[in-house]
Amino acid sequence: MLDILFIGLSLGSILLLVALGLAITYGAMGVINMAHGEMVMIGAYVAVLSGIWLKASLLLAIPLAFVVTALLGLLIERVVVRRLYGRLLDTLLATWGIAILLQQAVRLEFGLSFFGIHVEGLGAGLQNVAVPAYLQGTFRLAGADINAYRTFIIAVTAALTLATWFILYRTAAGMQVRAIIRNPNMAAACGIDVKRVNAMTFAFGSGLAGVAGVMMSGFKTVFPDMGTTMVVDGFMVVVTGGVGSLFGTILSSGLLGEINALVAIGTNDILARAVVFGVVILVILVKPSGLFSFKGR
Amino acid sequence: MSIERKFQIAAYVLFIAVIFAAPVFGDEFWLNRISKYLVYGMLGVAIALTWGYAGILNLGQGLFFGLGAYMLAMSLKLSSLTSLQQGSDKPVPDFMLWNAEPGAPTELCCINKGSFIWLPFQSQSVGLVLGIVLPVAIAGALGMLVFRKRISGVFVSIITLALVLLVRLVMVDAQPVTNGFNGLTDLGWLTIGGIEFDPYSRATYYLCAACLSLTLIGARLIVETRAGMILQAIRDDHVRARYLGFDVSLYQVFFFVISAGIAGVAGMLYVVVAEFASPTFMDLSFSVTMVVWAAVGGRSSLLGACIGAILINMIETEVSETEALVEAWKAIIGLIFVLVVLFMPRGLGGLAHDVLRQFIRRLKPGTAPSPLQQQSEAL
Repeated sequence: MLDILFIGLSLGSILLLVALGLAITYGAMGVINMAHGEMVMIGAYVAVLSGIWLKASLLLAIPLAFVVTALLGLLIERVVVRRLYGRLLDTLLATWGIAILLQQAVRLEFGLSFFGIHVEGLGAGLQNVAVPAYLQGTFRLAGADINAYRTFIIAVTAALTLATWFILYRTAAGMQVRAIIRNPNMAAACGIDVKRVNAMTFAFGSGLAGVAGVMMSGFKTVFPDMGTTMVVDGFMVVVTGGVGSLFGTILSSGLLGEINALVAIGTNDILARAVVFGVVILVILVKPSGLFSFKGR
Repeated sequence: MSIERKFQIAAYVLFIAVIFAAPVFGDEFWLNRISKYLVYGMLGVAIALTWGYAGILNLGQGLFFGLGAYMLAMSLKLSSLTSLQQGSDKPVPDFMLWNAEPGAPTELCCINKGSFIWLPFQSQSVGLVLGIVLPVAIAGALGMLVFRKRISGVFVSIITLALVLLVRLVMVDAQPVTNGFNGLTDLGWLTIGGIEFDPYSRATYYLCAACLSLTLIGARLIVETRAGMILQAIRDDHVRARYLGFDVSLYQVFFFVISAGIAGVAGMLYVVVAEFASPTFMDLSFSVTMVVWAAVGGRSSLLGACIGAILINMIETEVSETEALVEAWKAIIGLIFVLVVLFMPRGLGGLAHDVLRQFIRRLKPGTAPSPLQQQSEAL
């Protein structure tokens, strides 16, 4: 039983890393970023490429992926999302277009395949990343076999969540983000540079997704389309937890991860996902504002 | 009748005339392809109806399309030759026999645990009726739940999105009954009143063209009724509409159901034209793609959304068949999405509207729109 709960916890951790980024971009900026899943994908490819070209281990890929995806997020915010503030559903459509572009960019090896240049590690094929030896295997804890890599995932997620919490609630920049979540116009009137803070928020969320991608590359195959399911799962978590609530996002990602793991053990993976979707629909129907949304303004 | 309205009617008439005249220009393979685009055009109308007029962004329209498709496909599967030539006198889908346990009776009732739900589909009319009734019933039930609770905006989108993915997964998981990922292939032809609808025949093309024309005209008429006006009022300010005494959720449910019905019919037509039904109809990407067609064509213009769907699919086929761009066509489509949302938020329909307005102003210098009208458009 403990080992199943543990698997659920690790699934929930990955979900949390993806959802944190979505939660802050959606909650703070009113942007639905459908290209967020592609950040996960690109993070995973950073792990693949750094393994092939730099001979770097998974550990080094984590900061690398954060920087790459954060910069990419910044670029997307500057070029596209910035023009769409206040048009929620348009951000969804435009970022969907970006998601397709990014998928194709990886599949076409950034367009280099047109010139007959092949970049090893990119392209339409499946990729795998080797987990370092000290993270392989299992150890016994309270009578259950605990997978070392899954423990690593949980630890990294916990660290990043703590960092996010610290930035949001203990720094001046976080204060500005929270002010924007509550009321962007008032925040702007108080002299907060909303555009700059938004861009930074977007970049930070993208960076977290990139790290989630590195984590995922350790136990799943990496391919250009992998992001789409991630963004859907991420939104489920954000909506279930309550938009704008960091605490809700954490709890609901744990909850959905556990439901997924428990049903998957009893039946199969496909049905487990179906049950998760069903639970999300029920939650929205019963509590449209999410399980842990903060009370009004 | 204003000049603008005359132009609008002319556009509808012209469009319908063009699609009915199309068979003159091409061979049967081309016609088959165009039939598919017309089906997509119906989906564009369905999206424009809910999104543009009701303000409900349904990210799960593929559910209604897929259900319509599967209902008819099950009927057509049982009337295909491969289902009949299985040794028993009653037709049985071939995939069920391949996967049957040894010793299982080759009868629909009990070849596997769920196969009895195929029994009613031995009649094609059951499939035809269910293909529209089921989407409508589900949309009605969902609409009652969602709109009565005053759930709106993104939350409706997330519910519909989750629902379509849920149904898709259940369909895939029910492999013995639905053939899972493979979907239903090798279907028979639809027969109505003695006419067989060969997918490569003109009859099938005209069936699609007629359905699309009826959908367009019907949808246009219904948004111009009192109910349609109230719906647009709800879209613009649902609180005020509620205070004025309108049963907001009732109108939303009504139009949601109509849109689902259109998608159901489109699904059935697609099965007739393409001869397969697949779980990919209920993929997230297909549902979002439909929304993008409507966005490119113009979400608040029924004809625009329809033309948008047809146009994008034409471009897509054209580009994907150009040798140099085979690999890149998807990226090009992605780029079009981004550019349209950024620089043409009202789509082709909005563009046409502006051009028309300029044209009318030149034609009759005295009929410039009043400041109030301009203001309402700016909003």
